[in-house]
Formats: sequence, C-alpha cells, structure tokens
Amino acid sequence: MRAIDRRGWVYALMALLGFAALAAAGDGYALRIATLVGIYAIAAIGFQLVFGHLGLLALSQGAFFGIGAYALALATVELGVTPLPGLLIAVLVPALLGALVALPVARLESHYVALATLGLAQLALLLATNLEVLGGANGVYGVPPLTVLGVNLAEGWPMLVAVWLGVALALALGGWATAGRRGARLTTLRDAPLAAPALGLDPMGYRVGMFALAAGTAGLGGGLQALDLGVVSPAVLRFDVMVTLLAIAVVGGRGSGLGAVAAAALLVPLPELFRGFESGYLIVYGGAMLAAIVLLPRGLDGALARMVPRPAPIPPRQGTVPPRLGVALRVEGLSRRFGGVVALDGVSFTVPSGRIVGLIGANGSGKTTALNRISGLDRVGGGEMWLGKTRIDTLSPARRARLGLARGFQHPEIPADLSVFEVVVAAAPSGEAAMAALDRTGLIDRAREPAASLGPAARRGLDLARALATGPSVLLLDEPAAGLTAEERDRLSSLLRRLAREGRALLVVEHSMDFLLPLADRIICLDAGRVIAEGTADTVAADPAVRTAYLGREVVS
Amino acid sequence: MIEAIPQLLVNALALGSTYALAALGFVLVINAVGAVNFAHGELVMLGGFVAVGLAATLPETAVLPGLIVLPGVMLALAAVGLVLALIGYAPLRRAPPVSVFISTIAIGLIIQHAVTAGIGPEPRVGPPLIGTGSVELFGAVIARQQLATIAVAGLLLVAVHALLKHTRFGRRLRAAAQDPVMARAIGIPVVLTTAASFAMAGALAGAAGLMLSNQYFVAPTDGAVLMLKAYVATVIGGWGRVWGAALGAFAIAAFETVVAASVSYLVAEVLLYVGVLALLMLRPRGLFGEAEGRRA
Amino acid sequence: MSRLFHTLVAALVVMVTAMAARAAEPVSIPVLVPITGFLALEGTAQRNGAVLALDTPPAGVSVTYEVSDTATSPEVAVTALRRALDRFDPVAIAAPIFGTQMLAMAPIANRAGVPLITVSGTAKITELGHDVVFRFFPTDAVVKVAQARYAVRELGVKRPAILYQTTAYGQSGHGHLVRTLAELGIAPVLEEAIDPGIKDLLPALERARAAGADGLLLQLHSGPTALAVRQAHGLGLGLPIVAGSAMHQPSTAALLDPAALKGVCAETASAPIADARPAVKAFAVAFEARFGTKPDAFALGQYDGVRMVLAAVAGGARTAGAVRDWLAANRYEGLAMSYVSDGTGNMAHDAIIVCYDGNSRVPRIVKRYDAVDGIR
Repeated sequence: MRAIDRRGWVYALMALLGFAALAAAGDGYALRIATLVGIYAIAAIGFQLVFGHLGLLALSQGAFFGIGAYALALATVELGVTPLPGLLIAVLVPALLGALVALPVARLESHYVALATLGLAQLALLLATNLEVLGGANGVYGVPPLTVLGVNLAEGWPMLVAVWLGVALALALGGWATAGRRGARLTTLRDAPLAAPALGLDPMGYRVGMFALAAGTAGLGGGLQALDLGVVSPAVLRFDVMVTLLAIAVVGGRGSGLGAVAAAALLVPLPELFRGFESGYLIVYGGAMLAAIVLLPRGLDGALARMVPRPAPIPPRQGTVPPRLGVALRVEGLSRRFGGVVALDGVSFTVPSGRIVGLIGANGSGKTTALNRISGLDRVGGGEMWLGKTRIDTLSPARRARLGLARGFQHPEIPADLSVFEVVVAAAPSGEAAMAALDRTGLIDRAREPAASLGPAARRGLDLARALATGPSVLLLDEPAAGLTAEERDRLSSLLRRLAREGRALLVVEHSMDFLLPLADRIICLDAGRVIAEGTADTVAADPAVRTAYLGREVVS
Repeated sequence: MIEAIPQLLVNALALGSTYALAALGFVLVINAVGAVNFAHGELVMLGGFVAVGLAATLPETAVLPGLIVLPGVMLALAAVGLVLALIGYAPLRRAPPVSVFISTIAIGLIIQHAVTAGIGPEPRVGPPLIGTGSVELFGAVIARQQLATIAVAGLLLVAVHALLKHTRFGRRLRAAAQDPVMARAIGIPVVLTTAASFAMAGALAGAAGLMLSNQYFVAPTDGAVLMLKAYVATVIGGWGRVWGAALGAFAIAAFETVVAASVSYLVAEVLLYVGVLALLMLRPRGLFGEAEGRRA
Repeated sequence: MSRLFHTLVAALVVMVTAMAARAAEPVSIPVLVPITGFLALEGTAQRNGAVLALDTPPAGVSVTYEVSDTATSPEVAVTALRRALDRFDPVAIAAPIFGTQMLAMAPIANRAGVPLITVSGTAKITELGHDVVFRFFPTDAVVKVAQARYAVRELGVKRPAILYQTTAYGQSGHGHLVRTLAELGIAPVLEEAIDPGIKDLLPALERARAAGADGLLLQLHSGPTALAVRQAHGLGLGLPIVAGSAMHQPSTAALLDPAALKGVCAETASAPIADARPAVKAFAVAFEARFGTKPDAFALGQYDGVRMVLAAVAGGARTAGAVRDWLAANRYEGLAMSYVSDGTGNMAHDAIIVCYDGNSRVPRIVKRYDAVDGIR
C-alpha cells in the first residue's frame, strides 16, 4: 500500500538547510532556539492528529503541553522521580486526561469543541495559578536537568539531540496512527461525517484514541520544556502556547506532521529575527504570521502538494467481499414528526433477501426520511426495525452497518483528499475486498486516481462501491439513477439485479419510473408519510390513488 | 448581609450592556463569514484608547465628553473593522475557516503591541459619557456614568435590532448569513454585506471600549479577556443568534457579580467555565438553541 | 643603565596605554526586561531606569547595551539570557522584575558567573544559593512589613481586608502581609484573590464591608489598584487604604481624581516624584525629559543598580566575576537609598510610606522604615 512520497526529499532538504544554518551559528543561543523548535514541533505534530485528522479545533492542546510540564516538574521536584521516568509521567498524565476529555467533548460539533476545550484550558490555568500545591503564580522551580545514564543533557547539543529524538518519535507515532486504512477512515470520518456512520465507522473510538495520543505528545513537549527551563509556571498554560501550536499546524498544512516541523522551524525563531525592534518585534512577528497564512492558506504542506502531488497508495490485488446473505429487512409502524408535520405515519413493509423493492412517492412524501430512520442517521420517532432476527432500532448507525446494513446517498460525501481506492478501503475489511467492490462498479482501473477527479456518475459508482465494500446483506439506495445516461442506467440496472440475485435485499428510492418499474420486484408508494399502495410494478402503476398522488404528475411532466 | 444590592445590580447591568455590545459585534462577524474573529477583544481595547485620544483633544471644560467622542470612536473602529476584513478575511475567503482564526490572532497581536509600543503600557482612563458624580436611587448611591452606560448601550442595541429587523439592508445581511451561496445567487452583494458586518462589529466594539475605558480603565493587554467573554456569551446564547449573544452577555455579568459578591471571584470564574462546559454537555446547541438547524 | 631605563619606561608606557585602551574598551550590559504583556508597565519603568543610567556612564567607562523583551514567560526570558550571554559577553545584566523569570534565569547566569541586576520583589530569587542575583528593591519581607505596620500602628486598623492579585506579585505580597499581621496580633477579616482580568471590584469591596473591615490592604497591579480606590471612594466606604507599591506609580494616580485619593497611602522603596532631595529631583526631571513619563521606584531602583555596576566598572572591575564580587563587597550610595548586600544579594533594606492629601496626584512621604531586615 505504500508508494514513495517525493515530498520527503523536499523535507529532507529543508532539514539539511536548517542543520547547516545551526552549525554555522553554532553558539548556545542558536542551539537553544533549535531545541525550542523541536519542543513545539512535538506538540504540534500531536495537534495535527486532532486538528488535522479529526478536524476538531481542540484548543486544549496548549493546556496538555502545560499539564505535561507540571506533571514532570511535580514528579521530579516533589516526589523525587528522576527525569527520564518523569518524562513518561509527563506523557501519561495528559494522555489519560485527553482520553477523559474526549469522551464528552468528542460528541460536540465544531465551534462548541473549540469553546469547550478553551474552557478546560482556562480551568487548568485557574487551578495552576491559585492552588498552592501547584506552586501558585510563581510555579515550580528547581526541576533537575535531563540525565541519561549519568550524562547531563542540560544544554546545548545533548539537549538538542534528545529533543529531536522526541520529534522523530512523535513523527513515527503520528505516522503510524494515520497510515493506511486507518488514515483513510480518519479522513472519511472528517470529510464525510454523515456517510461515515452508515459505513460502519464509529467516530467515538477514533476520537478518544486520537485525543489521548495528541495529549500525550503535547505532554512530551511540555515535559521536555520543563527539563530545558528548570522551572514551570502558569505561563505554560496560557493561551499563547495554544496560539503558537495552532499557527504551526495551520502554516504547516492541515494534518501534516512534517509540515508542522517545517512550520515550527519557520515560526519559532521568527520573533528572534526581529529582536532589534525592541518592543515592536511582536508587531513585525504578527505581520509575518499574517503574511504566512495569506500566502500559504493551505499551509506549507498544501503548497508542496500542489507542486509534488501525494502519490496514491498502490492497491493490492483484487479479492472478494464475503456478503452476509439471506437476511431480510422488516420495518413496522415507522413514524416520525418534525414539529407539527408528520413525515412518516405507521409505515410497515418487508424487503426479502434476493429481492429489489422500490420506494416511490412525491417530494416530501417521506422516502428519504424512511431511509434515514432505517440506517439510523435519524434515531427519533417510533416503530420497530428488524434486520433478520435482530432488532436494530436502538442501535447506532455504525452498529447497524456492521450488522450488514449499507446505504448509498443521493449526494454522496466523498473525501476530496483520498484516492478512489482509499475512499473504498475506508469502509472495507481489507484492501482486497475494496478492489473487489471497485471491480463490480467498474472503477477498478481508476483506483489510483484522486477521488476529486471523478465525474458525477463515477462519484455515485464510488459511493455504491464503498457501500458494497462493507459486505452488506441489505442495501439502501437513494436515487441511484439520477443524472445517469441511458447507457449508465442499463449498467446500473444489471449490477443491482446481480446483487439481488446473489441474495441481498435492496431497497431503492427512485423518481425515475422507467428505471425503477422494470427493475423492482415490488413497489411501495408513500404519500404524506403513509403507504398508499404496495404490490408489483404493474399493479401499483395502475393504482388510481398512486396515479393521482404521484404518477400522474410525473407522466405529465 | 449584602447592603449594596442596588449598586451591584446597576454595575452588573452596566457591565453586561458593554459585554453585550462586544458580543453583538462578535456574532455579526461569525454570521457574516462563519469564522471567529480572535481580534475582537483587541478592537474593544483599541476603542478605549481611541476614546482616550479623542477626549484629550476636547477642552477641559467640555460637558458630555464621552457622548461627544462616541460617534468618532465608532467611526474610527468601523474603519478598523473594514481594514480587518480587507487584510484578515478577504484574502482567505476561500481558505478553510480556521485560517481566519490565525489571521485575526495575528492582527490582534499587531494591534496589542502597536498600542503598547506606540502609546505605552500604562492603563488609561477614558472620558465619562456625561461627566462624573452620582445620584441617589432607591437609597443607594449610583454613579451617573453607570446609568448613562446602560442607557447608551441599550439605545445602540435597539438601533442594531431595528437595522437588522426592519431595513432591506438588515434582511440582506441576515439572508447572506444564513446561506451565502443562495444569497449570491439571488443577487445580494455578499461582499458588501460582509464588509458592513465587519464595520458594524468594529463600531460596536468601539462603543463598548469607550464605556469600559471610563468605568474600568483600559490597558493594552485587556483584549484577551474581553474576547473570551464575547465567545462564552455567543455560545450561551446559541451560535449565530444575535439576541442570544446579547442575553448571554448579561447573564455572564450578572452571574459573575452575584457569585463574586457572595462567595469569591475565584469561585465565580471556575463556576462560569464549569457551567459553560455543563451547558455544552446538556444542551449542545446553547441555552437558547442555534440560529438554524443543520441540514443533513 | 640609561638604555635599560629607557626600555623600562617604554615598556611602562606601552602597558599603560594598553590598560587605558582596555579601560576605554566598552563593556556590555544588556537590558532584559518585560516590555510587553501584563508586566509591561513595570518592565518599561525598569528599562527606562537602566537606559538612563547606561546613557550617562561615569567618566572613563564606555558601555554598550541592547534592550530585549522577556515578555511574560520564563521561556522567552531564558532565550533572551542565552542570547545575551553568547553574543554580548556581558559584565552584568539588567534582569526582569518578574520573579518566575528570575527563578529560571538565575541558575544559568550562575553557571556563567554573570550578575543579574533586578528590582523583583519575589523573596525566593535570593534564597537559592546563587551569588549572582542582586536586588535593588526591598523584598516583600521588607515592604510588606512597612505596609502592615503602618496600617496597624499608625492608622489603628484592627480588622483589615486584603485584596490581592492572582499573580506572583500579589500572592507573594499577600503571604508576607498575612505573616506580618499575625506578628502584630491581627487576623484579616477578608483575603480575596483577584484575577488581573477582573473588571468590577465592587463585589470585593462589598464583601469587605459585609465582613466588617476597618481598613483595606491592597496588593494589586496599577489599574486594579486605581479601580479599587475609585470604587471604594464612590461607594463611600470611608475606610483607610494602604496599598502596595503599584499605588505610588505615577500612572496609577493619573487614573484618578485627586479627591478619590484622599487618605490613600502606599508602601514603596522610594517615591522619585515626591522626593525633595536635589539629586532625586534632577533624576526625575532628566527621566521625564527623556521618556515623557514620570519615574517610579522601580525605575529609580533599576537606575541605582545599573549605576552601581558602572561604579564597579569604573573602580576597575572589568569582568563579570569582578563586578559580581564588587557588588557583593561594597556599599553604594544610590539616589533612593544606601545599598549594601546582606550576603545573598539583597541590596535594599529600607521602605517608605507615601500618602495622598486629596488635592494632588503627587504623594507625600509620611514615614520611613529603615533597615527593616536589620541590615544597615
């Protein structure tokens, strides 16, 4: 699955230049700046996991940096722990807190995540400033320097090397956490938040894990800073640290660990360059930060990706998706109200395995609402839903998907940054299964293309492939034929027939009658949330109520 | 036990009304561009310093010095708001919203440190709206400035309400906030409504800054706290709800005053953040709900 | 014989010129102080005091300096120190008033043997066993004793309320106030911690009144001190107020109507604008002419400290180590007071109390507490 990323060479060149500049300056001041670059880079690499990969603006990363620093300082000064195990404590305490914070916070939507995490950071600052056990406003001083096997790494080159080993560790951890199928799943959760649960992806687990990892990484940075300075004060918990990390992450490019390192090397020494301006240097620094974000709105890594595109992973050979066949979908008395409007009113039907059931009705008759209720995206309202012998109406959408219920969307959310293969593998049990699904929808030759380059018809094919890759026994499709050419419709029809013949149950919502009527074994017609007709295509099409409610108008238009 | 209840209430109301002006500007920008303006606190602070500077040009004997300079301060800060939109938002309107976070943080840094370097780090006192002195009300001594602050802020809030609710411009502004793509499609000049939102945010921040600078002085480092207050008020009030933000601001001021007067400042501050977190857990869309339902 | 004599004379001339040249060679005294952030007011006073001293060195001394901001975190301060040590080879450094920054800087300066000249009041910075920290402002252990004694003994306060800031300055001052009050047999009726971001101080004043306080002891920064004084006046509390050194700063009084200042007192090390001595007056005039603001005790303390370093250089101390030893061993008659080390680098031992009469923003010196820590 790995392809050689030529951007690595660009970063290597940057690292070489940075090292040359450092060796040329060579004094303790230059080494100290380079050490600070490493310390902030570590915390920023961690921040990329939540901010970049989860897409959550968690403004608690700066606080976790500070908590790591405090944990190390208190462990070494108050408990007499030596610095090296102290660093472990500096990682574990914030990691644990990060996981705890993630449980409630990860349920929130974007801007509320920002304020909730900012509030937590403010609380940490208030406690550190006011609690005497934490040293109050003066903080904790007398933190011993880092010693490894009796060698003192307090300053200069030894400390620099120790810190940059930490950078390498953070990069490796971040890379591991976001590589391959897991990376594709994270991107899907971030860029396709509605589709992801329907594909069996549960955000909570990922969010808790990533929060913990990010917080632990921040703690490592903070612990190293405490060792480097010898004191820890509430200054490490102030919003300034968070601003630095956020600026590094954004200027580095969303999600990119190496980009964060490059941005740290750019932004951390920046104020030092303007020291000559005395109190005006932060004005110039602000100006430089503004210029950086205006000139590089997608960050260093984003700009680099334009010049040297990220190579798509090389897909494996094709395998098979083992379907769970022979399970029927049954709904009974499904109902849903929006305010005073009744969207579904006691809808009951069955979709047997091996059959295609068409769901028709005018706009607003409740078709998509029914799909949302069945797939679990909408969990409000009454009625029972059964997948075979399992009652599913209390289960999360991700659980339903894992039981074999898959869904295609009318307007599929496709993560733009992924290749076609990656979009599908995010939902598949294996790379081979993903290739099998792509093969069925005729996209296998385009597996390495960027998903963003697909046309509308191919996007729907990709959405269907993604749904198939989960190995479903029941497939819900929302207007799969909309916008397709006659030829594409024919291909879709025969694919759907094959899928049913193999033993799947298909529920298809569709407006286009000349597509649906020949395809479906049975048709259900909804009007104002009620089933007004059910039967074979011919009987339903001939039903006068259906003709009045729906078909008549369709024929006229 | 507490004797000064009338004074405390008036103080909370005065403080709340200035917070409300600040929060109102904050939420107008959120609605216009969907991004948080992190320089908003700095705009309030700058408004205070502009008020100090303009008042210094008045003769010593001037009556109503604050009221005289108020239009000037609002105009100046409206211009600053426009400049902010021009350099902090316009180049980034197609970039991810979080870029605007960074650009406004950078502009906030520039404003704060330009004030420190250019004017000095000393706290300053702004002009009183209607001169000094106090009046007896309900047996309590109330500063006239407090009453004037409540009156002026109240008038400004009503004026903004009228502007948003009853003018064509206001309807366009709200339409553009709800759905910029649709607004553009039906011919609303989104560039203009965006610019107007930033200018109004600046003007309201200026008014808030003026009133705060007289009552509580103004120092270059004041921005961060004010920005946080506006942020919390916006969330309490429901993201994107203009009047929710104003109500949220009053709620914060009343809460802080009451708890600080009966227990302590530390408890008030801790409880405020704990309360906000609890609120987010229990009502993830704010106390008064969000401006519009998210579309699936 | 005469040739030998000539050779010796020539050698002597060469040596003397070399020494003279060496004497004229400038020494470096970088100024590292917080000129941005929440301590910018105090840090700028420090900066200006140091710069005034460095711009007018004694005859025969040539000095170079650069001002660097230490902002609000130990990290920035340590970076600035590293830069000063590595790039300027300093004989001494004017160092930040911010105690936390000093705690981080002291061990590094100690290793380099370079003296740090500061006006920080944080007691701990001279208690770490380093011999490079020299403090030209009385510690909280001195000024807080003066503040508490004045309130209790001169004003008869028996039930004081203490309002203090949740910063190093406020917490350290609060601790020393409570200790001194306990020695005087007094227990405060209210001890309220106040974040610098708090706007309205009325709730605290109301609680002081509800607690039955008969006097206010303030340990707040400039703006909040002025606010407390004004709101107490507006509320008609009528309580005597003895404030911390922030009150004596001219920028604090500038925020207030003189009438609101009636009966307000403050501790400080010196009060340059209130001092009638000609040398101090001349300093105040020169300071205002140069910087456009009035000097406070922090500016004067830093000025005196840097002047003492320059005196050491003029007295032949040409290296950091020599300056350090000179500062530790000698007494120096500064403008504010007479400075001598107590053995740990505390140079200042006197405090004064100033009070405002309600007609002017310039206070009067009403009481001197000399040698509070027993060092003369």
